[in-house]
Amino acid sequence: MTSGERSGVPATRLGMTSLTSADIAHLRTGAQFLACTIDPTSTYIYAEMIQSAMVSGQVQLVDVESLDPEDLVVATGMVTQGLFIADMPPVGDEFLSCISAIETALSRKVQAVYSLAAASINGIVPLMVGLQSGLPVVDADPMGRVFPLISQTTLHIGEVGISPIAMMGVTGERAMVEAPNPQRAETLVRSLVTELGGWAATAMYPCTAGELRMHGVRGTVTRMIRVGEILDADESVENKYRRLIELLKAVRISRARVQHIESLSRPTGLGLPAQPSSMTLIDETTGQIIRLEIQNEILLVLVDGAVAAAVPDIVTLLSPEYGTAVSLDDVGVGTVIDVIAIPAAEAWYSAPGLELAGPRAFDIPLDHPRRNA
Amino acid sequence: MTALEGQKILHSSGSRAGSLAEAVDQTLAQLHSLLHNDPLRPVTEITADVGPLLQTRSPAEVVAIRVSPRPPADAFHSTSLPSNAASLVRRAIHVRGGHDVRGRELAPLGLEDFVAELPSIVATGIRNISITGVGSIAATAHEEAVADALLSQDSDMRITLSHGYFSNAFRDRDYTAILNSALSATGDELATLLERSCRRYFPSAALCYAKNDGGSGPLSLLSTTPVHGLFAEPAMRILGCATLTGVPDGEVILGEDQGVSVGLTRHGIPVASSLIRRGHGASLASNAAVHAPYTRNHLLAPDAVSVIADLRQSIGAPLPFGLKPTISIRDDVALVGCAAALLTGWIDRLESVVNEADLRRAQHLAEEDAQSMTVNLGAAPGNTRIIESSASSVAYSYPGIVRVRVRAAGTRAVADSEVK
Repeated sequence: MTSGERSGVPATRLGMTSLTSADIAHLRTGAQFLACTIDPTSTYIYAEMIQSAMVSGQVQLVDVESLDPEDLVVATGMVTQGLFIADMPPVGDEFLSCISAIETALSRKVQAVYSLAAASINGIVPLMVGLQSGLPVVDADPMGRVFPLISQTTLHIGEVGISPIAMMGVTGERAMVEAPNPQRAETLVRSLVTELGGWAATAMYPCTAGELRMHGVRGTVTRMIRVGEILDADESVENKYRRLIELLKAVRISRARVQHIESLSRPTGLGLPAQPSSMTLIDETTGQIIRLEIQNEILLVLVDGAVAAAVPDIVTLLSPEYGTAVSLDDVGVGTVIDVIAIPAAEAWYSAPGLELAGPRAFDIPLDHPRRNA
Repeated sequence: MTALEGQKILHSSGSRAGSLAEAVDQTLAQLHSLLHNDPLRPVTEITADVGPLLQTRSPAEVVAIRVSPRPPADAFHSTSLPSNAASLVRRAIHVRGGHDVRGRELAPLGLEDFVAELPSIVATGIRNISITGVGSIAATAHEEAVADALLSQDSDMRITLSHGYFSNAFRDRDYTAILNSALSATGDELATLLERSCRRYFPSAALCYAKNDGGSGPLSLLSTTPVHGLFAEPAMRILGCATLTGVPDGEVILGEDQGVSVGLTRHGIPVASSLIRRGHGASLASNAAVHAPYTRNHLLAPDAVSVIADLRQSIGAPLPFGLKPTISIRDDVALVGCAAALLTGWIDRLESVVNEADLRRAQHLAEEDAQSMTVNLGAAPGNTRIIESSASSVAYSYPGIVRVRVRAAGTRAVADSEVK
């Protein structure tokens, strides 16, 4: 998949599409599959709220190509640092307030919203924002997956500005950040989020539809829905795997049994949320030792010490018994899982992409295998 | 009723009396007569699976109190509860307050406003109250302050605080606290009934109820934590089969009339998870045995020992998936599990750590606390052990926040010849 081009998903949803309640259910599944390390409860809660709200409104999904290239579009998403979203979901006025703040700051009307990330809670939040605001949701995002830092975007690689960033926290307090450098913006936003109560609803990366088309990752909402359609289907696990691998150009690295889970497994000096942990598994067939290095996401997969996948590759887990996404919370010693690697958007394998989101960006002293390829 | 001596079923019977009290009385009288009050074979422990009764009795209505920085701004942002809990909430009250994962106050507790509401709560006549606060798994103060205010108005209220039920999700704790509160009167009634009958025939036996995790707890706790006994049956079946086959560590495959399922035992106790999930809706925050449908894709560990139990009442047809039973049981194997259940205690909490030594300290302290808890439940101090202990990072949380989860189990000091 390339930044500025459609993902591997066939372009069957050109123009504007009204999403159905079934689409939301599938998106929920896809959003969990693409970020298996994150507790899916908040995504479930949002899907349920959206499905209830759809009784009196519609979610319009729009291809970025069908927007006027000069239309103002803005990313919406949650930034967390100290409060589980599932413990205190947004009360409902946060994102509308953020969009309004962006409009005031730029003296322009926002014409559409897009996801800050194409998985987990941030993959689904904009659909509620679209329902509430009547704005269409663009079928694109600036990560093509989830990264922990708001600076880790293809828009950053494309030198699209992150500011102004509108924020509203748990208690209803608001802030606006003006910082042209996305990495500096990340530092400021993260500090503010702590003071705002542990999470903030945000609107950021205001840009034109043309810029999003050029530098965003396209088709990623549709991709989540397609993944969900496959995983939710009443068919054999083998068929699900075949269809998933075809859709995502995925690779099954190993079917392996968990032997050991270790917290605080390596030092970290970065301002990343959460501590590193590791998981050791043994391949059911070959007996090879599989090691997963985890910090918010699965960052690295080693097979007998050799790199099999590394960030920015998307690494996720499936249950070979049920063909469902496996949440990391449900994995214990003895659990058998399939370790799946999916290529990220092509922009992430460029030199600036790997600089921003390759293994070294997460304090792992390795180069991605494609670094010098 | 099933009486177990070691790993052997001593006696198994049922009763068809007119009332529950009569049935309990008849059953215990039978057992008493069977054992002739033999001093060499004393009944040391009686464990009741009250789950089926809790599920069929009408739960009471509840006043649900929710503590958070702000209430939902619109109907779309209200999280929904499963219908079996939503229909029990006569009145819901929002109180300002809550904490983040580090226990930092998000908003001052709106106690004054709440106190002004107290007369109207009392006027409902409802005495079952659930209190759920944002961040209460990290800081309990706001839930406790609201409870104190309620008790100062009416000391007879049955209050369930959500922080006793670990989940990162408010709606899971809210659901669990509401259901627990709604069942507490029934739990109290059952505990009283069982206590009265058991005391008549076996005055020195310890009385317990079977828990969802495959362990047991003192009957005296049934009125305060009935929700932990609501779905004990699958766990007790797993434990029962493992006990009869003498497999403390392995897979237990249950072939029943309604289908085939699988669970695991480790150290002689069913492996448990902290939530009872119901699809994508709210989960019950109660430790419960892992119990999943068996499929043709099931992968058995190469060195694992499996129990394949044929529990079907209809004899003759082979088990599905080509499974060959290692044991066939027509008796209620869940009752064998009840008789074999150990006292179990859980510690599940968030800790803030800065390095590995800190992490180990937090985990060690949790292990000590879990063992103390098990002793408080009735285990002999030398008879407790740690069944599982983990400390895991929480993705996208505050740096240094880990979840520490420990399970301890224990027994009373018993001799081999004692009957349970």
